[in-house]
Amino acid sequence: MNRRLPLLLLFALAAFGLVLPTGPAAAAQVTPRTPIQHFLFLLQGDRSFDNYFGSYPGVDGLAAASCQQQAPGKSGGCIEPFPLHGRTVPPLGATPATIAKQYDGGKLDGFVSALQSVGLDGTKAMGYYDQRDLPAYWRAASQYVLFDRFFSATRDGVRSNREYWVAATDTRAAGQQPLTIFDRLQAAGIQWKFYVQNYRPVTGPVTPRPAIGKRTGAGQGASNTQSAAVPLLNYLRFTTDPALRSHIVDLGQYYQDLQDGTLPAVAYFATSGSSERSSRSISEGQSLVTSLTGQLMLSRYWSSSAFLLSYDGTGGFYDHVAPPQVDSYGLGLRVPALLISSYARRGLVDGSTLDYSSALAFIEYNWRLAPLASRDRRAGVLLASPDRQADTLLPAFDFTAPPRPAELIAGGSPAAPPGKLRSSQIVYVSYGFAIAVVLATVGFAFARGRIRRPGQPAGTRLPISAQRIGADSG
Amino acid sequence: MTTRSMTEPGPPPGAPAAAGSALAERPEPAGRFRRPGLPAGLQLAALIAITAVAVLFRFRDLGAVGFNSDEAVYTGTGASLAGNESMRALFPIFRAHPLLLQLAVSFTEHGRITDWAPRAIAASAGVAAVLATYGLGRKLYGPSAGLIAAGLLAVMPYHVVVSRQVLLDGPMALLSLLALYCVIRYAETAALSWMLATGAALGATALCKETSLILLGGLYAFFALTPTVRIRLRHVLAGLVTLLVVLIAFPLSLAASGRANTGQHYLLWQLFRRANHGLFFYFQQVPPALGWLVLAFGIGGLLWLRRENTWRERLLLCWVLVPIAFFTVWPVKGYQYLLPLAPVAAILAGRTIWRIGSTPLLRGRRLFAVGGPLLLALLVAGTLAAGSWPKLTNHGSTLAGTGGVAGGREAGRWVAGHVPADATLLTIGPSMANILQFYGERRSYALSVSPSPGGRNPAYVPIPNPDLSIRQGQFQYLVWDAYTARRTPSFARKMTDLVNRFHGIAVFTATSRTGSTSFATVVIYQVRQR
Repeated sequence: MNRRLPLLLLFALAAFGLVLPTGPAAAAQVTPRTPIQHFLFLLQGDRSFDNYFGSYPGVDGLAAASCQQQAPGKSGGCIEPFPLHGRTVPPLGATPATIAKQYDGGKLDGFVSALQSVGLDGTKAMGYYDQRDLPAYWRAASQYVLFDRFFSATRDGVRSNREYWVAATDTRAAGQQPLTIFDRLQAAGIQWKFYVQNYRPVTGPVTPRPAIGKRTGAGQGASNTQSAAVPLLNYLRFTTDPALRSHIVDLGQYYQDLQDGTLPAVAYFATSGSSERSSRSISEGQSLVTSLTGQLMLSRYWSSSAFLLSYDGTGGFYDHVAPPQVDSYGLGLRVPALLISSYARRGLVDGSTLDYSSALAFIEYNWRLAPLASRDRRAGVLLASPDRQADTLLPAFDFTAPPRPAELIAGGSPAAPPGKLRSSQIVYVSYGFAIAVVLATVGFAFARGRIRRPGQPAGTRLPISAQRIGADSG
Repeated sequence: MTTRSMTEPGPPPGAPAAAGSALAERPEPAGRFRRPGLPAGLQLAALIAITAVAVLFRFRDLGAVGFNSDEAVYTGTGASLAGNESMRALFPIFRAHPLLLQLAVSFTEHGRITDWAPRAIAASAGVAAVLATYGLGRKLYGPSAGLIAAGLLAVMPYHVVVSRQVLLDGPMALLSLLALYCVIRYAETAALSWMLATGAALGATALCKETSLILLGGLYAFFALTPTVRIRLRHVLAGLVTLLVVLIAFPLSLAASGRANTGQHYLLWQLFRRANHGLFFYFQQVPPALGWLVLAFGIGGLLWLRRENTWRERLLLCWVLVPIAFFTVWPVKGYQYLLPLAPVAAILAGRTIWRIGSTPLLRGRRLFAVGGPLLLALLVAGTLAAGSWPKLTNHGSTLAGTGGVAGGREAGRWVAGHVPADATLLTIGPSMANILQFYGERRSYALSVSPSPGGRNPAYVPIPNPDLSIRQGQFQYLVWDAYTARRTPSFARKMTDLVNRFHGIAVFTATSRTGSTSFATVVIYQVRQR
């Protein structure tokens, strides 16, 4: 009997484990610290803050920009920032080495010359977009929160920044596979998903990282582009363990999850055709973000969600703010970032110094998870100290107010609405005058009609009465 | 017991026209006689009762059905005039028509926007038209004929249905009665003041709806065909000037607001737009709405009493025949356009019915002479009321101008409560778009609006490529409605295609019931561009 007791206990525990709620129910055990129950993070590509929002009112923008010198031998003097509206600009082709030259030890004086030195058109680096090109993003900035000191993690390229995006570190040099935020979430039983645009499922090891964009073959259907955009695909456990692999899904599943009520607590998005790396895909990117946020706003999740949009590097475009040096790798140059949430402060330009690890720290803070690396640990310390939360995501939220009604960021109506009236007073005055004329004229006629004419005896009727054949008395 | 005079005194045969009358001397028809009328107290009681019936038929369940497209536009415009910012963004003040009714509506829309108060204004104008019909009928044919005419109009389906809606035609018909009264007084007196009043009243009528200017054609025909009514050129000119002074408010406010082109574009569109109904539309729709018996008595009386017909009947005929002829030829037709015809038809029928009491068969006995016509009038009014009563809450018709649109208000209110402020909707046709804009306060566009400037109302914005617009995230909701789907099946199919292509999910469905069958009247789909 005694021998059987441990077995029975084990069986009971196993049975209990089987019936234990998993997934969303388990997530419910971890109560978020804030009203944000769903945190969504989309990382697009290759845009600097000045490139997108340098001319946005009230930001640390192009007003402080400097004229960038060209490479020796180039004529035309230095290059000032100029609008790119209406121009087709291919990707600048900036590599980490080019970015390093642009950075130039923090002097930020090589944006044009660095590209020209490798035979590229460096002048395009000084181009910027405005409201005409980015109506949805500018509208989002006016309705929600725009960060003007949000930095990429490193100056070491897209893959490195995307490693920091999920892991707050880049362990590629050491040949390691870092712990990611999704490992933490999985361990805590908190639902998560990684939505990938045009996802081609990966079921095995992928060829380790050649340079981005060079399609030299990939393992089990994973292209290099896809594995660059989705760093998890570079980590064996996320492609071989079904429990983890099943969380990486096609973007279409996001809409289905909104509809089905299965939106996870934390969701990351990676795009392909809509990544905004070329000028042609900017409108596609805006359309995608409009769709992602629009459907979120129309869903039951709007009042408990936050959507963060940022970029994985500048792609060689000019930015005039020198990034703070937090360690030997970064931070990288400044990138655009928008927070769209029912708790986001309206029209705030947030000057907090942030990077991807600030978002990771927010997730860890909100769902009570341990930090992954030094950067998110530092950011987490700030979050945990009420008097040091300035450089965190928290000031962008207003949790004291009830959730705001949704305001779509769609880029305007199909056509301009009909013109507005200068003043409705014009109508009141002109029609009032007309009514007065009518009343006066008709009233005068009635009044004259009642006045007996001289010589007309009382009771005399005009011929109209005479012709009322068969009528009774009037 | 004493009663007030109940007999028509009647001047002697061949009496000359009084000094100052516009009527030329002409021999009076023979065969006039004295006949009894209703006691004054009874007349008053009857008038009160008729007014009560008119009120009942115009105010009962006034808000039972939501607005149709025109009502939404006029009330929305009124709210814009009142300074409602959200409405001003959706309903520009200057669209097509003059703004007299919208101006009146604006006084009800300063606070919370409702659909009852604007309709109450239109319904009040309808009740006032009943009273004006009594006054006009009394003026022309005596108080009893006036009472019968008012009683018929009080329950006439055509007038009841139109005057329960926020449409321009109800107030226009009321003001046209004022103009008609002034013309009659001018014909009687030849006084310049009545010609000025005629011009002013016609100007006010046109400030309600510009198409009422066609009544000028009726007046021209009358004066041209009636040499016994003298008219002086200077009077005509003075009357026209007065008309213009009143009417100038319309173009003046357009010009002062920088929207002078709006009216021109609308006129051009109306001139060249495709016919919306067949040539005989009015002959099919209006007679049953006026009442076959009313028409029979009105027209029959003109024939029966042709020897007694004078300039008055000619005036009434010209007043209605010219608009009938014009709108029959005019490609754009609307159910309510001929509403000024209704009081005239009632007056002519009232004249005939009351005159029946003067036939040799009845006039010998006072009870029959008075009671017979009244009984007949009650019978005719009963048939009219039987036709009107079910229409007070019925909204199954797809004919514009005959009532509300099933499910439109419910859908609009759902939109107001559940759709983000900046969301944009795409409907099949502009009617539902207007309704959703009014109740939902969200911008709505219509699939069926033609991209060709000559083929659409200038107030509407076309969506040349709805597929692309949805893919670009400009529309978050697509709206299917049974009312428009029945009218434009091809665009309804196109809407269904878009719903399927863009993963439409039905998020709201309004239903209606016919017997034991329930069917969807409005379905709102949430769509996504990917």
